[in-house]
Amino acid sequence: MAQPANPHAMAPSRPGRTRTAPPMKPGNWPSSTRYRTYLAFDFTGVIYLLAGFAVLGAARAFAKGPEAWSALLASYRSPLWLLFHALALASVVFVGVRFFGLFPKAQPARIGPAKPPPRPLLHAMLYAAWIGATVLLCAILGGAIL
Amino acid sequence: MKTLLLKIEPVIWLLFGAGIMLGTILLPGYLLTVGLGAPLGLLPEGALSYERLHGMVSHPLGGLVFRLVLLALIALPLWKGAHHLRHFLIDMGGHGSDAVVAPLLYLVAAVGSVLAILTVVSL
Repeated sequence: MAQPANPHAMAPSRPGRTRTAPPMKPGNWPSSTRYRTYLAFDFTGVIYLLAGFAVLGAARAFAKGPEAWSALLASYRSPLWLLFHALALASVVFVGVRFFGLFPKAQPARIGPAKPPPRPLLHAMLYAAWIGATVLLCAILGGAIL
Repeated sequence: MKTLLLKIEPVIWLLFGAGIMLGTILLPGYLLTVGLGAPLGLLPEGALSYERLHGMVSHPLGGLVFRLVLLALIALPLWKGAHHLRHFLIDMGGHGSDAVVAPLLYLVAAVGSVLAILTVVSL
């Protein structure tokens, strides 16, 4: 006949703190592609922070008037600015591909009575919003519409 | 400070989430035109002229949308950047300096956001 489980069956033989291994980084972490990708994803924070301040600088130049705005656009022709903007674009695309891939997997099973749409549909909707907003902004700022 | 950071964690997560979502959706269009297209001469003449953009900002309805998008383009990436950079530093060096680094990064994002609001209102 089965006995009821003893809740102290796994207790240490002598009272005292249970020994656990201290948290350690695995020695081979820099060679792990997944870990490097994860760190690169975190590191895009630097690029986003700089990009936010760059857009703030552009808005402040625009607020100052036509001369400041023209000077800002002229300064953007320098190789350093071009390199930064290209790097920022690459970072944003990297974040988008990774985040929009993770987002559908991170949804709860239910939000109240509603269920989130199926993962492939949610994924497609995110890409549609991303591409749509990019095309719209390019068309407006590029002078194609408005 | 740690208690305060834990209390405001939901707000920071909200801004971080909005930053990673809306910042990522909006930034490519800006970078492709203002950051790369115009300097490389790929845009039509006058597309980014002050007069044209000023006309868009001054529009009663379109101007409001323009300002809101500009505010999102500035402030939200700052919060995404601050929060991700905080976690990058934790991953690299542990929690030792987080009590100093986290408030500093969030302060930078907050100051940038206030400047963004003031700038967008003054356009």
